[in-house]
Amino acid sequence: MGRGRLLAIHVTLLLIASLTMLPLAFMVNNVFRSNREFYRSFFSIPDAFKGLARVAGAAAVDSNKPVQVEDEQGRPLQVAPGEAVGVYLRQIERGPAMAWAVLRPYLVNSLIVSILTALGVSLLGSSAAYILARYRFLGSRATLVMFLATMMFPGVLTLVPSFLLVKSLGLLNTYWAMILPYVAGGQVFAIFVFHSFFRGLPEDLFESARMDGAGHLSLYLNIVLPLSRPVFSVVVIMNILGTWNNFLWPFITNTDGSHHVISSGLFALATSQHAQNFSTMFAAYAISSVPLLILFVYATRPFIRGMTSGAFKA
Amino acid sequence: MIRPNLKSTLGCYAIVLPGIVLLLTFIYLPVVWAFSKSLQEFEVGGPARFVGLANYREYLTLDPTCWPSVLNMLLLTMFAVFVRLTAPLIVAKLIHSLPRERWRHFYRVVFLAPIVVPGVAVQLIWQGMIYADDGMLNSLLKGLGLSGWARGWLSDPHTALAAVMMVGFPFVGGFEVLIYYAGLSAIPDSVNEAARLEGCTGVSKFFRIDIPLILSQLKLIVLLTVIGGMQGFEGLFILTRGGPGFKTTVPGLWMYFNAFMFQRMGYACAIGVLLFLAIFALTLLNLRYFKSAEDVKGES
Repeated sequence: MGRGRLLAIHVTLLLIASLTMLPLAFMVNNVFRSNREFYRSFFSIPDAFKGLARVAGAAAVDSNKPVQVEDEQGRPLQVAPGEAVGVYLRQIERGPAMAWAVLRPYLVNSLIVSILTALGVSLLGSSAAYILARYRFLGSRATLVMFLATMMFPGVLTLVPSFLLVKSLGLLNTYWAMILPYVAGGQVFAIFVFHSFFRGLPEDLFESARMDGAGHLSLYLNIVLPLSRPVFSVVVIMNILGTWNNFLWPFITNTDGSHHVISSGLFALATSQHAQNFSTMFAAYAISSVPLLILFVYATRPFIRGMTSGAFKA
Repeated sequence: MIRPNLKSTLGCYAIVLPGIVLLLTFIYLPVVWAFSKSLQEFEVGGPARFVGLANYREYLTLDPTCWPSVLNMLLLTMFAVFVRLTAPLIVAKLIHSLPRERWRHFYRVVFLAPIVVPGVAVQLIWQGMIYADDGMLNSLLKGLGLSGWARGWLSDPHTALAAVMMVGFPFVGGFEVLIYYAGLSAIPDSVNEAARLEGCTGVSKFFRIDIPLILSQLKLIVLLTVIGGMQGFEGLFILTRGGPGFKTTVPGLWMYFNAFMFQRMGYACAIGVLLFLAIFALTLLNLRYFKSAEDVKGES
């Protein structure tokens, strides 16, 4: 391929990537800007950053002139450079601090729900898939069909009756209202992925271990689990992503708001009086992205490998 | 494949049982209820009255939102199918045509990265930052001297539906890129080599060789997008709540409002059942008539 073509491809890809990232860049920018700055001009870096740069510039030429800053109400104020730094830092941290105070309990709820769901899904899904893939017994085929057939029921069909069910079980405003239905639905996709993987494992592996008297548990722990690490990572990551992004179900089943997770909490935040402070909202969006960013950094490689291996086609 | 005796069969069932119990309780029971309760009229906790097919009849013949919302749903879904078949595919093809694995990995990671932002946050960012009165789009237009074009994009009845469609521009989803990329990678080297020898390169190769060979991936994306487009309403709930008027209402959203705001549970279940039937029919059509490369190969 010619150098020109290669360059053109890189330029196109980088352009599309920056268009994709643009809203996120402005989101981060707006974390540190007050409403007044937002209204004055959308495309501008935070005043606090400019101010800090000015103070740093003044310090470089050893000047101790007072600096003009704005107080909370936007009135101009003359203060010493050292004090100005404090004012700017307070402006910078105000949004994140407010957002963090509101989001912290939601974050804890999200972690509890998504970790327990992922544990339940991978445990139930992989053990059921192992049994259904490696043993042929009376009803094994029907059981598999019973699991996989639920993939044809869209969420919109079961949303209202599921709510009625959870309500009549007395589970509204509990973690279980989320975890139990999530595990029930999530295990199906896990069984779908695990089953085809376990079917492909050679029988010799199992046979020799069985000769040595290994039971279900030992086969599962010593053969199935170590071999299926990449599949596990895809199932767990897809599951956590699904749980993390599910907004409607936690929103509906949290009638008193006591068990909001990140996504439903963000929406609750956006409809509360905090929404009047733009920097709080933008900080909340940024903070809500951090946990998955951490997961992303650790799990991209196995995830991309798992996805690229071609597990996904119809 | 082991055929266990009766005792081990019971052991097998013991392991599968917890999953089956959850499945029956939280999936199959709601499915049965969806159908049975769609024949009733009731509020949460209140007495239920059997009304036969009255809910269905009312929705299809009397409800003023029915056909406009179906039209909105179809427009949104078709637009989503179009952009998901094009933008991520072009990006995947560009990435795949790079000669060095380092860069190919880099770009896949870059385009996957935005999935860390929760979906709700994305909708709220578009609503509160891009489409806001003093937001990015209007500021951009003012900067270009086009102040006359500035408007409340989501509240103007003429632009609301288009504004909702454009959320997510430039529509390059990381998942779709990865799926298309996997398809392109799976094309055997011999095919690529033969195409090169025959002088079939560039755009011509893309349309004549690549697209036919990644049909199964294209089919998967169409299927998922159609299913998602027919039943999805979370984004609309966040962005516009179906307004202005019913300009951005879809049947799923109307179902939600009936259940959780108007307390018409039976009516909501009926809308859910109708959506299920429509999705089911489309899925069958899709699987039947949109054949994947494997099917074609299998027949020839």
